[in-house]
Amino acid sequence: MLRKIKEKLFLLGITIATVLTILPLFHIILSVILNGLPVLLERGLAFLTDTVAPPGDGLGGIGPAIVGTFVLTFLASLMGLPIAILTGIFSAEYPNSLIGRATKTLLMIMMEFPTILVGLFVMDIMVIPMGRYSAVAGALALAIVMMPYVAVYTEQALREIPRIYREGAFALGLSRAIVVFRILMGMARKGILTGVLIGIAKVAGETAPLLFTAGGSYRVYFAGLDRPIGAIPLLIYDLVQQPYENYHQIAWGASLVLMLIFLAIFLPIRLSIKEVKM
Amino acid sequence: MKDRFKIFLLPVSSIVFGIFLLMLTVFLIASLPIFEKEGLSIYTTNVWKAVEGGEEFYGVLSAIYGSVYTSVVALIIALPLSIGFAVFVIDYVPAKFKEILIILTDIMAGLPTILYGIWGAFVLVPILRDYVMKPLYDHLSFVPLFSYPPTTGYSYLSAGVLLAIMVTPFASAIIREAYRMIPRVYREGVYALGLTRYEATKVLVGYIKPAIVAGTLLAFGRAVGETVAVSLVVGNTFNIHPSLFAPGYTISSLIANQFGNAFIYRYMPSALFASGLALFVIGLIVNVLGLMVLRRWRYA
Amino acid sequence: MKRFAVLVALAITISLLGCQQKPQKSEIIIYGSGATFPLPQIEKWIDDYEKLHPNVKIEYEGKGSGAGQNDFEKGLVDFAGTDPPVSEDLWKRLEKRGQPLQFPEIVGAVVVVYNVPGVDNLKLDGETLAKIFMGDIEYWDDQAIKALNPNAKLPHEKIIVVHRADSSGTTQIFTTYLCLVSKDFEKRVGSGKIVDWPVDKMGRGLGGKGNTGVVEILKSTKYSIAYTELAYALRENLKMVALKNRAGNFVMANETTIKSAVKAVKAKIPPPDQGYRENLRELLNAEGKDSYPIVAFSHILIWKSYPKEKAKAIRDFFTWVLTEGQKREHIVEGYVGLPKEVAEIGLNAVKSIEEK
Repeated sequence: MLRKIKEKLFLLGITIATVLTILPLFHIILSVILNGLPVLLERGLAFLTDTVAPPGDGLGGIGPAIVGTFVLTFLASLMGLPIAILTGIFSAEYPNSLIGRATKTLLMIMMEFPTILVGLFVMDIMVIPMGRYSAVAGALALAIVMMPYVAVYTEQALREIPRIYREGAFALGLSRAIVVFRILMGMARKGILTGVLIGIAKVAGETAPLLFTAGGSYRVYFAGLDRPIGAIPLLIYDLVQQPYENYHQIAWGASLVLMLIFLAIFLPIRLSIKEVKM
Repeated sequence: MKDRFKIFLLPVSSIVFGIFLLMLTVFLIASLPIFEKEGLSIYTTNVWKAVEGGEEFYGVLSAIYGSVYTSVVALIIALPLSIGFAVFVIDYVPAKFKEILIILTDIMAGLPTILYGIWGAFVLVPILRDYVMKPLYDHLSFVPLFSYPPTTGYSYLSAGVLLAIMVTPFASAIIREAYRMIPRVYREGVYALGLTRYEATKVLVGYIKPAIVAGTLLAFGRAVGETVAVSLVVGNTFNIHPSLFAPGYTISSLIANQFGNAFIYRYMPSALFASGLALFVIGLIVNVLGLMVLRRWRYA
Repeated sequence: MKRFAVLVALAITISLLGCQQKPQKSEIIIYGSGATFPLPQIEKWIDDYEKLHPNVKIEYEGKGSGAGQNDFEKGLVDFAGTDPPVSEDLWKRLEKRGQPLQFPEIVGAVVVVYNVPGVDNLKLDGETLAKIFMGDIEYWDDQAIKALNPNAKLPHEKIIVVHRADSSGTTQIFTTYLCLVSKDFEKRVGSGKIVDWPVDKMGRGLGGKGNTGVVEILKSTKYSIAYTELAYALRENLKMVALKNRAGNFVMANETTIKSAVKAVKAKIPPPDQGYRENLRELLNAEGKDSYPIVAFSHILIWKSYPKEKAKAIRDFFTWVLTEGQKREHIVEGYVGLPKEVAEIGLNAVKSIEEK
């Protein structure tokens, strides 16, 4: 009898746990849509191109932040991807060497590293010496956040290739570089591309590394790589903390835009592979 | 034969090491002035005395306390949820829904944290305040945990719950993977003993205990470093209070809030770097431990 | 495949930049950051000004006086907005980089607001106010408050004190005033952009980030009291305390009482190139029977010399702010334009801007 009750309670318990785990996601999506969609509908495309309205007076748009997010993500990819992919190759090719193992461990640690510390670090080495917030500083911080993801994915993609291909290629007398870059990279391209896109999805939504590096921008779209630049997450963080009702509305609208960008990158990847790490 | 390929790759991968070491160095150097001035008091006192051109003193204990407190609250909530979710998904869900459930949690794990932040500040906090904190305070305020009047709702509890929501998918992914990898023989053996589902699951979950420990540690690491979502709901007050409903600070929200104006004070930047160093060390220890446990278990 | 993804990203970026950024050659961007108190006013000025001068873009980020001074010192911005005058310490550091200039651009007031249902027209004097903010007075029906408000129905509820949690000019102005009117407050708490509020340690203090944060908490917390800028109090329709001024009258903050106080202290504002000599204590608790005691000047901090194009743009903008901008149609509710003599101080500074 007691066993039966326990059994029932157990089933109930894990069902509730599952519901509680998933429920917030629906609530978040619903809240973002309910609060953000009216803003987007009211402003239409102008919301994506205009600048933020003055406090307490209309909505305007988030054009500078959208441009900023694209520029920052692109620059961060430019800086981070080559290093990350090569690092991934290294730890895949030399899994048993001391450095190879250490690299792998370090990448795993950096994946979980508090991103605000990256922002602080870049502020210290770049923003203060340069004397201004800038797009490059923000992008550098994002690149550091992005690297371990891309490297770990690259490593895994390469490791999953059956040994026989590698051995066959070597048997043909090809050099290691050619084997890796011409043959293995080609075979692992889906895995690597997944890593790249996961990295992009990750940094496009990051706020903390940008707090003291990018500077933010309400009115200026793009003034140069060495000038302050906006970003959607940064704008939301700023606006939420302002007292103006219209700023909160803009923040919700921007949240919807950010969510759509994230899902547009993330869902296709997730549906095409079995497992992701974020 | 010298491996030219290795020689070519080595400098590139050492960039990652370089960045990491440089980061540690920067934090150490930038923290030095406050260590020289105050010694370890920076970590053991709760003072925030910022005076321009006068006697300054900083102690970030309240932020360290808040970081640990909110992360522990988050894990107390997240742990049962993530185990329950893992078991449910692996053992009880038809294959069709299984994939959907897993995709949903993957979305949660990757969702930009600022979305949790805006939802937390505008939606979650009022709900918690009106339906959880107020009733508990009204009836049970003699319990120290519930002893602070929930005026704004911005509190350790709000931060803890929000963090729990954020890290549950992450922790459950680790636990789920381990649970799925339990050898078939073992699984069948347990059921062959004639145990009920509950008893069988208990045995199986016991088998993956190391993965649960690892998941807990890694989730803690994630919670302790989260910045924007927490800083929007934790209250940002220099406070060390036992009550869940009290507002407080966390290390990362302290940095997010104070760093912008730090440089007009002589020692504040250094104090903030020192608190960052504490976060650096806590994060490093927890993550290394988590990875070690996970690795040892996987290869055992 | 990867190259393809990069190309796509590049194409998107370029097309986005292309369609939104038609940079005119003469476009000039001026960056500023600082005080949140004048933010709505500065945003209004920028908006009105950009309509007249489409080739100038001005980006002002309200993140606090402290942060503004910080950014200005580090060279991150071209000008800063700051409520309290720059400290002597910082001024000397700034002088190493060039001649800084500081002048007031708008006036407001710090007001005490409260959320006590059923109590209106609350009156307080400086000493009682200081005691409340130190935590010495615990309940709303304390004798000291009763004595000043014999007709009010004061509840026997604990007072919750709401203050700023971030570094803030508002806090500095308010605590300086409390120091002026209470020796005890000066001894135990002191003044500054951030102070250690004793009431926090009694569990009755709450910190909010920005004027916003404070107002949010006040509105959601019964029996609380807070200080904030007049403009915020007006916008949110908060109940304000009538404060006892130096002449012994209870006054609310409004255009008349603020102007009266400004008139009484205008001689105390130093020339712009000696901004650090401005002593907050001399500007508060002004003489005059109508004067509101906690008047807040908000200042602009600029350099005396800028690169050529920028020098002109900054000179033009602030000249406009100090002349046209002070007219009623450009002033946001809750702020008070500068009397002519006070605007003159800034105009002299702006005229002296040189090209580097």
